[in-house]
Amino acid sequence: MRTPIAYFIVLSGVLFTLGTLGVLLRKNALLIFMSVELQLNAVNLALVAFSRMHLALDGQVLAFFSMVVAAAEVVVGLAIIVAVYRRRGTVDVDEARGLAG
Amino acid sequence: MPLDNVVFWVFAPISVASAIGMLLMRNAVHAALFLVVNFFCLAVFYLILDAPFLFAVQIIVYAGAIMVLFLFVIMLLGVDRGDDLRERLFAQRPLALALGAGFVIEIVLAVRAGIGFATKAPAGFDAVNDPGNTQAIAKVLFRDYFFPFEATSILLIIAAVAAMVLGQRKTRAVTQAELEAMETTTP
Amino acid sequence: MDDTISIPSLLQLLWLIPAIPLVASAVDLFAGKKLGRFAGVVASAAVGVSFLLSLRLVADLVSLPVELRSYPQHLFDWISVGRFSVGADLRLDVLSATMILVITGIGFLIHVYAIGYMEGDPRYGRFFAYLNLFVFFMLLLVLADNYLLLYVGWEGVGLCSYLLIGFWFEKIENATAAKKAFVTTRIGDTAMLIGLALIVSKFGTLDFDAVLGAPGDTIAKGTATAISLLLFAGAIGKSAQVPLHVWLPDAMAGPTPVSALIHAATMVTAGVYLVVRSAPLFELSGVALTVVLIVGLVTALFAATCALAQDDIKRVLAYSTISQLGFMFMAAGMRFYTGAMFMLVAHAFYKALMFLGAGSVMHGMHEETDLQRMGGLIRRMPITGWTFVIGALTLAGIWPLAGFFAKDQILEIANHTGRTWIYLLGTLGALLSALYIGRLVFLAFFGAPRSDEARHAHGSPAIMTVPLVVLAAGAVLAGLLLSTSAEGTLARFLEPITGPVPHGEGLSTLALSVIATAIALSALAVASWIYASGRVDWLGFRERLQPLPRAAASGWYVDHAYSTLFVKPGISAARFSAEVFDSKGVDGLVNGVGGGVRRLAAAGRRIQTGFVRSYALGFFLGAVGVLVWLGTRL
Repeated sequence: MRTPIAYFIVLSGVLFTLGTLGVLLRKNALLIFMSVELQLNAVNLALVAFSRMHLALDGQVLAFFSMVVAAAEVVVGLAIIVAVYRRRGTVDVDEARGLAG
Repeated sequence: MPLDNVVFWVFAPISVASAIGMLLMRNAVHAALFLVVNFFCLAVFYLILDAPFLFAVQIIVYAGAIMVLFLFVIMLLGVDRGDDLRERLFAQRPLALALGAGFVIEIVLAVRAGIGFATKAPAGFDAVNDPGNTQAIAKVLFRDYFFPFEATSILLIIAAVAAMVLGQRKTRAVTQAELEAMETTTP
Repeated sequence: MDDTISIPSLLQLLWLIPAIPLVASAVDLFAGKKLGRFAGVVASAAVGVSFLLSLRLVADLVSLPVELRSYPQHLFDWISVGRFSVGADLRLDVLSATMILVITGIGFLIHVYAIGYMEGDPRYGRFFAYLNLFVFFMLLLVLADNYLLLYVGWEGVGLCSYLLIGFWFEKIENATAAKKAFVTTRIGDTAMLIGLALIVSKFGTLDFDAVLGAPGDTIAKGTATAISLLLFAGAIGKSAQVPLHVWLPDAMAGPTPVSALIHAATMVTAGVYLVVRSAPLFELSGVALTVVLIVGLVTALFAATCALAQDDIKRVLAYSTISQLGFMFMAAGMRFYTGAMFMLVAHAFYKALMFLGAGSVMHGMHEETDLQRMGGLIRRMPITGWTFVIGALTLAGIWPLAGFFAKDQILEIANHTGRTWIYLLGTLGALLSALYIGRLVFLAFFGAPRSDEARHAHGSPAIMTVPLVVLAAGAVLAGLLLSTSAEGTLARFLEPITGPVPHGEGLSTLALSVIATAIALSALAVASWIYASGRVDWLGFRERLQPLPRAAASGWYVDHAYSTLFVKPGISAARFSAEVFDSKGVDGLVNGVGGGVRRLAAAGRRIQTGFVRSYALGFFLGAVGVLVWLGTRL
């Protein structure tokens, strides 16, 4: 493969940043959650790229575990969002201001 | 031009564009679909990075299961309607954009200082993926990473149980009096 | 064969002498209500037992040869810090022996008198508790073998004086007088404490042996002067000398037995005792003795003029006490310590006698104290009257009463040591003394009664008159027994402590005695003619002399001066401190800090917006920051 590994890393960084911007700038809880998934995927990309560079499979295995855990996390997270929606009627995170000082 | 180079330079902009698209969409369903596109691009990247197993798993798990789940919930709750894009918090947008830019610059600088932009992937990965990528991963997974594997299996069970518990609606038991009341009213 | 003289074993009971009144005080304090009238008996018995024990122990002391007449008793180690240690040590020597006999003997008589005088008082038991507590502290003061234990006794008698002056505290004037006494003596006490500190810093100890043994070996003249003057300042306060004398006339607000015991016979003499005990220090200084002499002389004359102008029977006696103490200090200032001590003993007898007599008069006149409303009482209360007359004659210095010998010897020493001015002024003081006491006696007991109370006054019960008779006997006999001359029995007894009596040349003893007696008799005759004969309009005469008599009656406005110079500024300062400095300053600071914290918290609270996304931004900010920092370190 002729593409320098560094390009994958930079791409991973860009995707991660876009995910972070999504977490910071969107108000819909589901969209925030999807941005988090984008972040996780960016990191997986970096893991696989480095794994390729170091000629070991550890990165790929770690990326695999990351996917598994992300799946579990999505399950629980969505259940929570549904429960919160049932309670408050909205998924706008700005409405959750109860801890304001 | 080598094939993987082409592939990279085609799919990288697509992935970035779809990510930006996910960010900017008002409709949640549209955003989810853009994310699915992003996941497909990433799967392709895994492929050119000699990780065919992960290519498959990415599509099956992420695009096929996780995003489907997301779409179910979005449509169940009916929150696909427009999201108000006004920003209420003080300096949130400018600060976030600035920090994001700074972060990217840092990554670039770190990479330059670290592996450098010239390093290409070393040859010899075929030896690692010896009988095949899947078998090689299996070897590593069930030997060196056996304990984390078992732990994640427990984690999945816990997640499933948690989802069931969280999803319950509270119903209370019907009392005997109410039971008789119900029977007398129904003809 | 063992040649050592055996110390009589009873001397080991020395500690009982102060301890018994202390125990009785506690008993009366806690069981006073239950004991009722018996409380007075308990207290008197305690002092009586102490007196008998003192007699026995002094006799034992005298049985020892002169060089050995000093019995120390170490009770327990009290303070021990580094190289400084003070023990609870008592010492019975000739000086403390004299004092304990006076304290317990006259104290006993006064306690008995008080049983009758205080009858019916709702706090009867507590009175005797305080009185016994006072006796304990006074005994501790004179028996102490180091300056610290002496100071404990010193402060203790001050406390008891405060408690007893203000005994009838329901009347605000009594409480004020008690406060005044305490605060004024405090000034002297503080100076004395500084003196003690100076002693510790120079001598390293407060024991009498070490400090008074040969002070010249350890300290310079200047230091001795400083220490002596500081100790004397304490004496000025306690013995009501000018300028700290102002509390004693006001202290007459207390019950009369208190005036007799504390403010005539014992507490006020503590200052004289202190000076005589510390004589080696004063002698080393030289200057200090001159100061003592001058202060004594000034006080003697000043107070005598005030006594002449008082209309309250107790206030005459109070100023008289101040004046007589001045004479004692004059004697000490001339190194005639024996003379000071003899006058102390004699004064204890006749002044206690006269105070108790005044109390008897008040008792019979429904608590009236104004001399102008008395008159002719000798017919209505003969025992009180004639014993009082004996006391007055003693004070005036008529031969062969004790007062004659006391005063005469002091003036004789003044004359013989070439202090002509002292002699002349002292004689003037003696003249004034005879005048004011003559005035008192003739106004109160002779002439025609000037009010209904005087016409119908009744005598006092035996329990009050018997002590009067005993004291009168003492006044008569003390002189004859103790000191018919400057080198009499008392002088020889006290010589181990006081050293020899000063010698000199001057007029012969006989000549001086004649002069003194003549002056006293003529003063009394004049007083009799002015006040008792009824032929002189002395009130009118007094009016024409105004404003002098009024000034003298007020103590020459010293109280007014103190009030303006010290009391009012002090109160203003206190008010400023409380209302401005404390309320606005300190409270302001504390509240300000609290308010500041609250404002800070309110400002800081604005970070807690409650918005999750703000917090997330914070995370990201931190993460980027850390990365930048890591980047700079690469």
